[in-house]
Amino acid sequence: MNIRLTIAAALFGLLATDAAPAESSPETRELTVVSWGGAYTRSQIRGFVRRFERERGIDVEMIDYTGGIEEIRSQVRAWNVKWDVVDLELFDAVRACEEGLLVKIDPSSLPPAPDGTAADRDFLDGSLLPCAVGNIAWATVIAFDPEAVERAPRSLKDFFDIRRFPGNRGLRRTPKTNLEWALIADGVEPDRVYSVLDTDKGVDRAFRMLDRIKPAIRWWAHGEDAVRLLETGQVTMTSAYNGRIDTANGDGASYEILWDNHVRFRDAWGIPKNGENIEAALDFVRFASSTESLAQQANFINYGPLRRSSLEDLPAELLARLPTSESNLSRGFDTDAAWWSEHIQDLQVRFEHWIERPFQVPRDWPSR
Amino acid sequence: MNSRTFAIALLFFMLPGQAVGDDADIEALVAELEQVKGRLAELEQLRQRVRTLEARLEEANRTATSGEMDRSDVALASDSTAPEPEPPAIDIGGALRFTTFANGSVKGQRGKSGLDLFRLSADGSIDNILLSAEYRFYPFMDTIHHGWLGYKFDNESQLQAGITRVPFGILPYASHNFWFGVPYYLGLSDDYDLGVKYVLPNGPWNLQLAFFKNSELSNSGDLGRYSYDVVSAGTARNEETNQFNARVAYTFGEGTTCSHEVGVSGQWSELYNVDTEKRGDMWAAATHLDTRCGRWNFQLEAAQYDHNPVNPAGVGANRIEVGAFESIYEIAPGGTVGIANVAYNFPLSGDILDQLTCYNDYSVLYKDGGGDDSILNTTGCAIGIGPLFIYADLINANNMVFFGNGSLADGGEDDWDTRLNLNIGYYW
Repeated sequence: MNIRLTIAAALFGLLATDAAPAESSPETRELTVVSWGGAYTRSQIRGFVRRFERERGIDVEMIDYTGGIEEIRSQVRAWNVKWDVVDLELFDAVRACEEGLLVKIDPSSLPPAPDGTAADRDFLDGSLLPCAVGNIAWATVIAFDPEAVERAPRSLKDFFDIRRFPGNRGLRRTPKTNLEWALIADGVEPDRVYSVLDTDKGVDRAFRMLDRIKPAIRWWAHGEDAVRLLETGQVTMTSAYNGRIDTANGDGASYEILWDNHVRFRDAWGIPKNGENIEAALDFVRFASSTESLAQQANFINYGPLRRSSLEDLPAELLARLPTSESNLSRGFDTDAAWWSEHIQDLQVRFEHWIERPFQVPRDWPSR
Repeated sequence: MNSRTFAIALLFFMLPGQAVGDDADIEALVAELEQVKGRLAELEQLRQRVRTLEARLEEANRTATSGEMDRSDVALASDSTAPEPEPPAIDIGGALRFTTFANGSVKGQRGKSGLDLFRLSADGSIDNILLSAEYRFYPFMDTIHHGWLGYKFDNESQLQAGITRVPFGILPYASHNFWFGVPYYLGLSDDYDLGVKYVLPNGPWNLQLAFFKNSELSNSGDLGRYSYDVVSAGTARNEETNQFNARVAYTFGEGTTCSHEVGVSGQWSELYNVDTEKRGDMWAAATHLDTRCGRWNFQLEAAQYDHNPVNPAGVGANRIEVGAFESIYEIAPGGTVGIANVAYNFPLSGDILDQLTCYNDYSVLYKDGGGDDSILNTTGCAIGIGPLFIYADLINANNMVFFGNGSLADGGEDDWDTRLNLNIGYYW
């Protein structure tokens, strides 16, 4: 053999060894799992990550991020994948899946419920994507301080009725949830919300409804801000993440949650393609989405497991505070992640325009 | 460089190279290959180490900056709205405006066809220290519009010192149009003087107390100013000094879509006569209603004022001269002012217009000494398009200064004059 070919073959061998995804997971010593940080990541660590490390002999490095799929896209396309497993908002998981950034996950490979129910029947509907496995649901709810209102709101419509329920309103600065709520408060049935929003007239209708409370809206961006608006009396009621309100109540506050038409969001595990530890990552996802793991996590944060079997052994008091409990499920609806993934860009632009445009005759015009 | 890239580079280096002809070369190359493999392994270890350190650094940064970040803090990242950068403490702004008008004669200098003004401004705060200033360049003069330093207290009240707006009547403007209403030309609206002002917002209440040592310019005869004051540039030669203002307002329905601000204002100041060196006085009082209900805005104001100067012999006490914009004219020494304004803010859904507010502003001066009333009625629209802000006004004036032979003092003419005014400004 020509010596040059020999060396080339040797180097190709070296290349091949290096390029092959380390589906040789038995050698995997460390797994990088990306999640949302803070109390949420702590609930995952205490719920199942430590147990996974002990049982599998693999170190799990938890890294925080703030969502989105840009980093995943960048890593996958560069074939330089540093994130083995990512906790994605379902909305992002749909996009990443469609872009081919995630590894396919066969639902039949997921562990069944303790009673043998197959995973695809144990998970709540819509929780399993071709390349992502749902884990928890969290909710955007209406929260209020009962001592700060003359009478307690009973429904979403009351939130939009400033005349009968005076006072400022807190809302997250995003079209998501706000447009759905506006239509529901205007009489649209929750199951028709997205079909109405599919039309320009429907979007106009939602913004007209938001117009009615616009002067009273105080915008927030982070979950903590919503609680602060209540604490400081800047609003009489606000949209908020249910976990944040529970945490505040645990710290001594006494806010009430209105579950009427709460909007549920889901998170899902995804595995970026072209990684070096795909087998180990799949093993982690299977472990993390088991009945026991999800139930354990719920003990440390009030977000609802997406497996029915995980809810069975939880105490009733805790169940009442979870978005996925039987009693709360019927009072809210799931955000349509696929719909938002298609429309978010256009609606975000319009929403920001709408915020910037004054509703009332402005007080402060450019000085003359 | 990762191991794959390194290997590729090596491969490309080797392939076109000279043929290898003997065993010694082969052994050398194999040894070299082994070295490369070893080096690659080291590089891989280093890469793993860097990755771990990066992750730890990221974790440390996050902990340091965000404290406890809840899962609920899922920010807007997935909404494609990156967090906005921290705004600068002091915002530098400005404007470039052009104006044009038709059907009417202009005696004063407040705008001609062409350039209206160029201005620069600074607004902001550093901790509790507040700053607001604006300087204007007109084609015929340049002057300070306002400039003050302030302190914001923990109860949200603030103290302003410098050239600041006089708290009187409807604020910030008792009109919607570009040419203002009658009170502005009497020095009873959008007036700026030199002094200190305390502003105390307290729920629906808003209290403002102020003391002004004199008008905004130290030289009371200098007409190169923005807001109208009694000036010593004419024959009567009076100047404002030691002025006290108090304004209290209460807003019903604050935070609702229909709020009503009612308020009363009082003003008293000395009028120092440069020639007699004696001090007269002036006072003014007003009550107002400013209603914002849905997209409608209704403004009502009634004000009374009186000037009692100590003019030299031969100069009647009925001569009160006010000036600004390099012009001077007389006003009635006392009178009653009425304002009735209505405006509507149109809903917009397209991408072009950011604001379309149309209005009709009516204001009138009833002069104590008799004489024809002075009336301004302006119908127009304010249009916002990105950084552009346009006023399109149709002004009807009766016996109004700057319109024909109209006058705010006694005399003048009972005649209507019409002007179409268009002001286009680029604001940043």
